[in-house]
Amino acid sequence: MKNLIAFLAKYHHWLLFVVLEVASAVLLFRYNSYQGSVWFSSANYVAGRVYQTDAAVRSYFSLSPLNKQLSLRNFYLERQVTQLRRLYGELTDDTTAIEREEQEFLSRYNLIPAKVVSNSVDRADNLITIDRGSADGVERDMGVACGTGIVGVVYMVSTHYSVIIPVLNSSASRISCSIRGRGYFGYLHWYGGDPTVAFLEDVPRHARFKRGDWVETSGYSAIFPPGVMVGRIETIYNSPDGLSYRLKVRLTTDFSCLRDVCVIGDKSIAERSRLMEQVQDSLTMKPNL
Amino acid sequence: MAIDILQRLAILLVLTLAQALVFNHIHFFGCAMPLLYVYFAIVIPRGYPRWATLLWCFVLGLSVDLFSNTPGAAAGAMTLIGLLQPYVLELFIPREAPANMKVSMKLMGPAKYISLAAFLTFVYCLVFFSLEMFSFVDWMTWGSCVVGSTLITLLLLLAFESVRR
Repeated sequence: MKNLIAFLAKYHHWLLFVVLEVASAVLLFRYNSYQGSVWFSSANYVAGRVYQTDAAVRSYFSLSPLNKQLSLRNFYLERQVTQLRRLYGELTDDTTAIEREEQEFLSRYNLIPAKVVSNSVDRADNLITIDRGSADGVERDMGVACGTGIVGVVYMVSTHYSVIIPVLNSSASRISCSIRGRGYFGYLHWYGGDPTVAFLEDVPRHARFKRGDWVETSGYSAIFPPGVMVGRIETIYNSPDGLSYRLKVRLTTDFSCLRDVCVIGDKSIAERSRLMEQVQDSLTMKPNL
Repeated sequence: MAIDILQRLAILLVLTLAQALVFNHIHFFGCAMPLLYVYFAIVIPRGYPRWATLLWCFVLGLSVDLFSNTPGAAAGAMTLIGLLQPYVLELFIPREAPANMKVSMKLMGPAKYISLAAFLTFVYCLVFFSLEMFSFVDWMTWGSCVVGSTLITLLLLLAFESVRR
């Protein structure tokens, strides 16, 4: 016993080393499975505050190009809306129908504006931190979009901050998308490298589309409403197994200068997931009948 | 003692913030990232309690992790460097050196200081990127990250050391 104590006293730093390495390993493995605690990410309060201040300073310097970009986009959309409204009015003789439908569509979603406080585009698995958390109504698995298109999905939420898995996360991001006006769908995946390009996988072989077609969210998952812009088809490849198409999509969202985003909460999610659970329950019960 | 703790705490904070706000955004050729906080471990003086070295390094690693969303990777690698530093330091300083000798280029001479820094930085980058990526499938990226980051960190470290009084 005496020897043991003497041994421990002499080599106590080795013991401490082992303890600290075990602690690191626990953190490492808990996080690697993307189930980590919110306290050990940039969503915790201290890191969030520091990044928020930093982002506030940085965003000040990028205000004018951002404003320019947004007003251009706004102008373009305004024109499109006017044209479409005119066409719709001519066809149906009902000039208020679009506004009615639009309001109904928007009232289904709960939009929470947020600011990006920390962001990266140069790793294989990028993460984004925003300055809204559970206190503002953000929940896990909500969709996040910005003025120019899709951003990602909420992954961890603390009281005042949340971490988002953006499209630019090669290991965790898969978002269901479809080709506008054609209806064919696949899932969006990013393989690292160029932050302006992602790939739409699993598009069926019989699908008809052409280069330059727009890709948008499909609305099949409960995360995004249908029609949120994703990007434009740039090149068409065969998938490695030859069973489907792989489309190279030029993203409309510029992740490298992301400042203002919007978290999209779908009020019908609870209803949808309840229905889904009921279906799954009835399917699992069937073989016993 | 209290002054030493406060001093180290201040350096720890500065290095963490510098890493989080500046160096984490620098990627030369897509891989070389400066990891200047290794400096903290390199300049721990001779004869500093080993358990304290380990604890300091672990805390620094953890705080860097917190900001970079890499829990455990920097903490684990820094703790290893904290363990190695006293042993490696003995290799590069004369036996008769004072028991509480400070680590600096002026006291050790450039050749020995650079060797010490290069060795520890290389081991750090090796362990850190292995833990962070946790797969060697893409060994080209892994290799270039380790070598690139070691070089850029070393360069920054020497620049930092040369302006230090």
